[in-house]
Amino acid sequence: MTTSTSLLYWRIQNVRNRGLWWLFAVVAAFIALYVYLFPGLLSTGGISKFSQNWFPLALVSMAQAVLMLAGGISLSIGATVSLGGVIAATLLAGPLGVAGGSAVVLLVGAATGLASGWIVVRLGLPAIVVTLAASFIIAGWALLIMPRPGGAVPAWFSDLLAGNTPVALGLLVLVVLLWKLYLATPLGLSLYAAGENPVGAYRSGAPVDLSRIAAYGLSGLLCAAAGLFVAAQTGAGDPVIGNAFTLNSIAAAVLGGVGFLGGRGTMRGALAGSLLLSIMISVMFFLGLPPVAQYVAQGLIIVVAVALPEIAAMRRPRT
Amino acid sequence: MTQDAIVAARSISRSFFSNRVLNDVSITLRAGTIHALLGENGAGKSTLIGILSGALAPDAGDIDIDGVRHAAVRPAIARAAGIAVVQQELSLTSQLSIAENVGMGALPRRLGLIDYSALMRRAHEVCALVGLEQDLARPVGDLPLGQQQLVEIAKALFRKPRVLILDEPTSSLSAHEAANLMAVLRRLRDAGTAVLYISHRLNEVLALCEWVTVLKDGVVTADRSLGGVDAQGLVRLMVGREPGDLFPRWTPSAEPAPIIAVEGLSAGMVRDVAMTIRRGEVLGVGGLVGQGQEDLLLGLYGAIPAVAGRAEFNGVVGLPRSVPQANARGLAYVPADRKREGLHLIHSIAWNLMIPSFGRAPSLAMRRTASERERAIALADRLGIKGDLTREVQALSGGNQQKVALAKWLPSDPPVLLLNDPTRGVDVDTKREIYALLRRFAAEGRAVVLLSSDTPELVNLCDRVAVMRAGRLVRVLERTELSEEAIVSAAMESAVPGAAA
Repeated sequence: MTTSTSLLYWRIQNVRNRGLWWLFAVVAAFIALYVYLFPGLLSTGGISKFSQNWFPLALVSMAQAVLMLAGGISLSIGATVSLGGVIAATLLAGPLGVAGGSAVVLLVGAATGLASGWIVVRLGLPAIVVTLAASFIIAGWALLIMPRPGGAVPAWFSDLLAGNTPVALGLLVLVVLLWKLYLATPLGLSLYAAGENPVGAYRSGAPVDLSRIAAYGLSGLLCAAAGLFVAAQTGAGDPVIGNAFTLNSIAAAVLGGVGFLGGRGTMRGALAGSLLLSIMISVMFFLGLPPVAQYVAQGLIIVVAVALPEIAAMRRPRT
Repeated sequence: MTQDAIVAARSISRSFFSNRVLNDVSITLRAGTIHALLGENGAGKSTLIGILSGALAPDAGDIDIDGVRHAAVRPAIARAAGIAVVQQELSLTSQLSIAENVGMGALPRRLGLIDYSALMRRAHEVCALVGLEQDLARPVGDLPLGQQQLVEIAKALFRKPRVLILDEPTSSLSAHEAANLMAVLRRLRDAGTAVLYISHRLNEVLALCEWVTVLKDGVVTADRSLGGVDAQGLVRLMVGREPGDLFPRWTPSAEPAPIIAVEGLSAGMVRDVAMTIRRGEVLGVGGLVGQGQEDLLLGLYGAIPAVAGRAEFNGVVGLPRSVPQANARGLAYVPADRKREGLHLIHSIAWNLMIPSFGRAPSLAMRRTASERERAIALADRLGIKGDLTREVQALSGGNQQKVALAKWLPSDPPVLLLNDPTRGVDVDTKREIYALLRRFAAEGRAVVLLSSDTPELVNLCDRVAVMRAGRLVRVLERTELSEEAIVSAAMESAVPGAAA
């Protein structure tokens, strides 16, 4: 009894890998193929560059997944990344310094998320409409701050995050650990209940509204962090650089088995999905596929990935 | 009131949109008492529970909790006072583990984090109490419905309630699980818990409860001890008049010709079933909950993949491969979950009644609204559906919703009706109407297949009863050998206790 008691958390974690093994296997296969095509990946520099390419997509995929788990969705991911980037390029080299500027970026991201979340949850409006409106407002705000690419990020900061050391990978590990910690709080775990069965969760006394608004705040925070990283990576701010992230974040979350109806899926799945998307693009590049074919292949892979579990479920006898 | 009263509600009234649902209702829940709350659908039971648990505020009246007067109970007050409710609709999250679900909303914490070892210990206690023998790390979505209901009950017990309100807790439990629940409730009562028990199963109420409050149309018609009251008496209290016979008189049908014959049928849980369904009979399908009864109906209906060694449907050889094919051969199916499968809740009664007809109309023809309206009125009349047919179906009571779900198939005049628990959650009056209707269908030469979890219904209504266990048809009881004991013993035979679910 005592052993099973202390192990409950880990056994639950293990059960949640169920249904993801095939995805992990596909990711591993793509990594193997990538290493075969590009053996340089296995050096410190290779891992650093690869994780720097993956890092912002990983963050926005988490930002999207946390909202999908809460029964929502965000179309303002890309705009928030851009806004984070232009604020970073404006402030980091200024009097606030890197620490102060980064803090402002993260606060602004969290605040935009919390505002959307408050409107969605308290006023009961559809998330897709509110975040679509938010995407216009945030994108416009980014253009007001910086009408064309510019600004600057201190070189030492760019070197730290996007140099030849795998700092990005370390940061990602840190973010994941913080997420695990959040999910181990009653507020974090309530996210699943609030997403799948809000009425039942409310009657159980779970903090439904709070956990959903908090999810929007976290989502905005993660997007702004991605924007900060992209600014450091490129050394400047660009008011439209984030646009592609909105749909890519949805693609990664869906690849990772996160459902649209709330409460279904896992963060590890979304991360694996973003990793698969990221590697896929690199592998197709190394295979010499033209960019147009890459888009088609990407679309096909997403459809197949979403269809496979359904087909497997159909073949399984009903019990 | 007496000293041991934990919750005393006095002169509660509540209206929804000028429709008075509760009128001057008083109820007292005492420590160490199992108290039954009875009433037909729409009598105001759910509203009363909502007010006692803080989900709703009363328009008038007040509620004493432990002697402190409240004009309205807020959910936080109810929780702090130890009032826990097991609702009919599950409040579970399918992806989370059993333990996490049991603790949701009251998770033990240490340094701000969930204390998983305390959660495990306490969840294990309550799950053992309700007889749920499962790995607590399993996601709730993996469990069959009956066990999910046990999780729901364990979740209420986890809060160590002083007042436990259960709304139809046994509706999807097997006989074994239900008996176990009764034992748990008695133990809680002996430990001083106040239990408010709502059920349509009168035998359970008689066996379990000491006190009864009966609601009829929002008014308390009885608040008394259950000593010396029998089932007939309870029905009288609920309907407020002599019940007459709940079941219509049984007359054998003139034309017992087979209309469906299958051998070696397997579908979903169903394994190797041979059966014949005859015109002019009501064939009951019984057994413990979840022994493959529903899959049998769905397999016959072409709604799930099925195989059969030999099959003949209404003169056509072979199983129907799809629902339209089954409809074409004269089969109609009325699902148990009428809210999700049987009806389109936000559409009008008339619209719902017309849906199966749309399938048979030439696809691009214009709808003829006048004739549709006439047909809808005729159907509603035939089944005794009262009121304005342009109302949304969700505005109807459960019983009337069920009647709409049944009525919509009648225009196509199906010779075979497959009914999945048509009287679940339906009040006594509507039950009687549905029973009379089913016998009438049989007398008209239709075959009625009635899947039911209500044993008296099977005994009194059916010509034959097929009893299923673990996916197999273990016994077909003829009319002469039908009795509750015969059905239950066939269903339980050699069933290992605990493995019954």
